[in-house]
This record gives sequence, structure tokens and C-alpha cells, in this order.
Amino acid sequence: MPRLLELQRAMYLSLVELDDREAAPHIVVDGLAPEARLNIYRNTFIGSLTNALRLCYPAIHRLVGAEFFAGATARFIPACPPETACLDDYGEGFAAFLAGFPPAAGFSYLTGVARLEWAVFRALRAPDRPALDPKALAEIDPAEHPLVCFTPHPAVGLVADAAPVDLIWRAVIDRDDAALGAIDLAAGPVWLLVERGLHGVEIIRFEPAAWRFTADLFAGRPIGTTLAVSAPANAAELIAGHLLAGRFAGFELTTFLPTLPACHP
Amino acid sequence: MLHDAAESRAKGGSIPARAGIGLRFPHHQAVLDAHPAIGWFEIHAENYFAGGSPLTYLEHVRRDYPLSCHGVGLSLGSAGGIDHNHLRRLRDLVTRFEPGLVSEHLSWSVVGGRYLADLLPLPLTGEALDVVCRNIDAVQTCLGRRILVENPSSYLRYRHSTIPEWDFLAAVARNTGCGLLCDVNNIYVSAGNHGWEPSAYLAALDPASIGEIHLAGHAVKDLDDGVRLRIDDHGSRVCPEVWVLYAEALARFAPVPTLVEWDIDVPPLATLLDEAAKAQAVLDRVPDRVGYATAA
Repeated sequence: MPRLLELQRAMYLSLVELDDREAAPHIVVDGLAPEARLNIYRNTFIGSLTNALRLCYPAIHRLVGAEFFAGATARFIPACPPETACLDDYGEGFAAFLAGFPPAAGFSYLTGVARLEWAVFRALRAPDRPALDPKALAEIDPAEHPLVCFTPHPAVGLVADAAPVDLIWRAVIDRDDAALGAIDLAAGPVWLLVERGLHGVEIIRFEPAAWRFTADLFAGRPIGTTLAVSAPANAAELIAGHLLAGRFAGFELTTFLPTLPACHP
Repeated sequence: MLHDAAESRAKGGSIPARAGIGLRFPHHQAVLDAHPAIGWFEIHAENYFAGGSPLTYLEHVRRDYPLSCHGVGLSLGSAGGIDHNHLRRLRDLVTRFEPGLVSEHLSWSVVGGRYLADLLPLPLTGEALDVVCRNIDAVQTCLGRRILVENPSSYLRYRHSTIPEWDFLAAVARNTGCGLLCDVNNIYVSAGNHGWEPSAYLAALDPASIGEIHLAGHAVKDLDDGVRLRIDDHGSRVCPEVWVLYAEALARFAPVPTLVEWDIDVPPLATLLDEAAKAQAVLDRVPDRVGYATAA
């Protein structure tokens, strides 16, 4: 008789790794093969998570179609099963998976659209947290401003891609085939900030230098280090804008200023 | 109209022995706009663990209706114990919304830190009973309240199970002090799949332990080799046989809060309200109505 943990590991092997050999002997046949009974649960496992990913990646689902999407999730889900029972936490790795999914080769913009969709989803469902009050910065010695390391608000994200993925995403979500057809994939890269606005998610295009500077700040780099490696001319204005828009959740003061390269490509 | 909404709040959000429906995202705005005359709403706890607009909607709904909090991911049967991060998120939700009932399933879904996204069946053994009771103790201690545990639907049984499901549930309730959520559709589904007698299952449950009833639709699959399986998919109206079994359950248990669940191909709100009205009509035919149920 298997111990409970042993049986649960056998069920994991069956549902996730498609290996029924350890679980099947413990299951009553009763007119239907154990493998068929296990398959009912496997179908629910894959089906529930495919539905969760469809809700998270609606534009990808429409771009590739239900059959392609199901084929991709059937490979992705066993490779990356959820680590929590909150499905709002699930799906971050799907963009990276698509980048290495052979049937998606040749559609490089899919990965960018997927990364944008994840940022949109996180902006919608991130924990509700108050934004950093700019007054808190006014209370520290200006000489210490270079030591400030910001924590980005969880409902704000950054995405950059070689294709205009914001236009693609909008056209697909709006089911605007004319707009989708008019998009020039070679129009150049986009540098995007995604955030939760008063009336839903907002996607804002940034200049490359401003985006890189923001990415360094969001990575928790001290302001002093960030200014040293990627300071656009309007750095002070950018920081003020981020503060006023509530894009930081907090900050801390570092004890030293590392001289590191910028954190983005 | 608000009917007894203010009364409900005055009673601290206790769930009345009336029909309620599951609150689903597609109905959030419709519920706020129409303010249907329904006794209460039940949420899937995990759908509100994150932030954003779902919580805002829930705040509005909670102002006007009693709320029941039904978990699907706590994995009471995990040999590895309860995920304390998950339990903390549940506790935060319960603290914020003060639901009249908190419930979970007699099942497992987590092993090795991975979530298998289904309510998986347990072997009904002494070891599993100990695990489930230990995990329920941990949950009830953390939440500082009694929970209800729901009987599962299932499509397989394990060779080494030694305890009938109804006896297992009774022992869980006896050992932990938890209540039971009697899912009448689950009894009908599992009885069909395993050759049990639904009425005997009902008769084995202690009426005093029953804090809530669930109703839902299920699918019927006729397989190639002549086997008929009932699949608990919550994707259709409650079938006539389950309505009959529900009336039998109420006759045994006395009226308790009754939920109509519908989770896939979610219909318009009016359809769910129509199903709830049917449940209410059955409730109304039962004499000796009791006031309010609470697992707190």
C-alpha cells in the first residue's frame, strides 16, 4: 500500500509527465482502464490551465487561433506547472516558451506581444498597493538622493520589442483587421511602459533613453548609479513624472553606490 | 431592490438558509446594476487573491449581500501539509470581507510545490484521514473559525481505500469540529460513477454537521465500451434527478443555505437566478425554516 505522499507523486507523474506506470496499479478498474480514468483528470489539468492562459493572453489566442494555442499550452503547461493555486500568478514564462516553440518560429513578434500581454495582465491584477508619496523623498537630505533605490509599483511594467507590439495588441483586442493589416512590422522598435490607469490599463510609448533610464530605476539601481550609466537629459523630469504618476511603491537608501553597467541590453 | 440587505449586514454577514449563486466575473457589473433579489453570493476565494477591479467589485457586492468564501486550492489532502502562503492569502481575504461561510473540498491538488489545477481524489485510508484532519486543524486555527468541507465528485477509486467516503467525511467532521458542505450533484455524480446509492450516502451524513448545500449541472459521457461516466463540469442546469435528491436532502437536513454553481460556459445572470429560484421554491416547501447558518 503506497503512502499518501508516494501516491500523490505518482499522480503528478501521470498528470504532468504522462507516465501512468506508478499510479495506474493503485486504481480500481471497475469497467474502465485506470489510464482512461487518469486521463479525465489530466484533461481537466490541461484544460483549466489552458483556459487560464487564454484569459491572460487573449491577443495571442486570437492571433494564432484556438488549435495552435491549445497545442502550445499542451507543451507549456507540463513544462511549467503552476507553483501556486492562484491562477493570477500563472503564465509569466509563456512568452519565453513561445520564443523557443518551433511552430512559432518566423513569428518573432508573438513573443513581444506575449510579453506585453503579461505586463497588461499584471497591471490589471497586481496587488493593490499605495504609491510612494513624493513627500517622503523631500524628507531626506538632498545629499542622499543619489543613494535612493526605488521599488516599482507592482501594477507598472516595462516592455521593449523590435516590432510595434502595442499596435498589434490593440488591433487584435479591438478585432480591427484593417488596422492589423496596416501595421508595418519593420517600423522600428518600441519602448513601452504599461500601468494601471483610472479607466483600465494604459500603454505609453517612451523614447529609448528615457525607457532605459526608467528600466534601471525599476531594477532598484541607486539614482546615482543610474545617472552615471544611462542619464537622459530630462532625468529629473522623468523621475518627477514617475513619482507623480504613482509608478513607485517605495524606496530605500543604499549604503554604497556600485558602478555597474546598465541592466538592460 | 435591496430587500433584506441592510438586515444581512446587521447580522454580520451570516448566510441565510436561502438560495444563493456563485459570483462570476462576467456578472460583476450586472449584479451591481440589477441588484437581484438573491439571498447571498459565493466566491471562489482564489479569484480574489490578486488586486485590481475584482476586489473593487467585491467590495460593492459585499456591502449589499452576505458572502460565502469557497476555496478550490487549499489542498486539504496534501501529504506535504498546507501551503502557508496560500493560507495567509485566504486569511487576508476572509479578514477583509468577513464571509458568513468559508469552505473547501475533501481533495488534494498540490504536491512538491506544484498545483495540479483539479480537485484530485484521496485514498480513503487512516493515513489520509490523519493528514486531512491535521490540515483542517491548521486552517481553522489560522482563520480562527470553523470551515465547511465539501464531499468530492470523482472518476476513480484507489485499491487501498478502506473507509467509505461518507464515513470518512463523518470522521473528518467529528475529529476537527468542521462542518460539511453537502454537494448533492457530487453525490449523484460519484454514485453514478462508482455504483453507490445516493440516498444511502445522504442518510449516512449527520444532519447537524451540514452547513450548506451545493447544486450544479453535470455532463454525461457514454464511452465506447458501454461505460457511462458523469462529469462534474458545472456547465449546465441542474438535472431533474439532482433536484429530487436535493428535496430529499432538505427533508433530512432541514433548510440550509443552497448554492447554484455554474463555472463553464457561464450563462446570463438571469439564467443563474432562474436556477436559484427553483432551489428557493424547494426550500420554501420545507417546513420549520431556520434562520441563519454560519460557520464562524
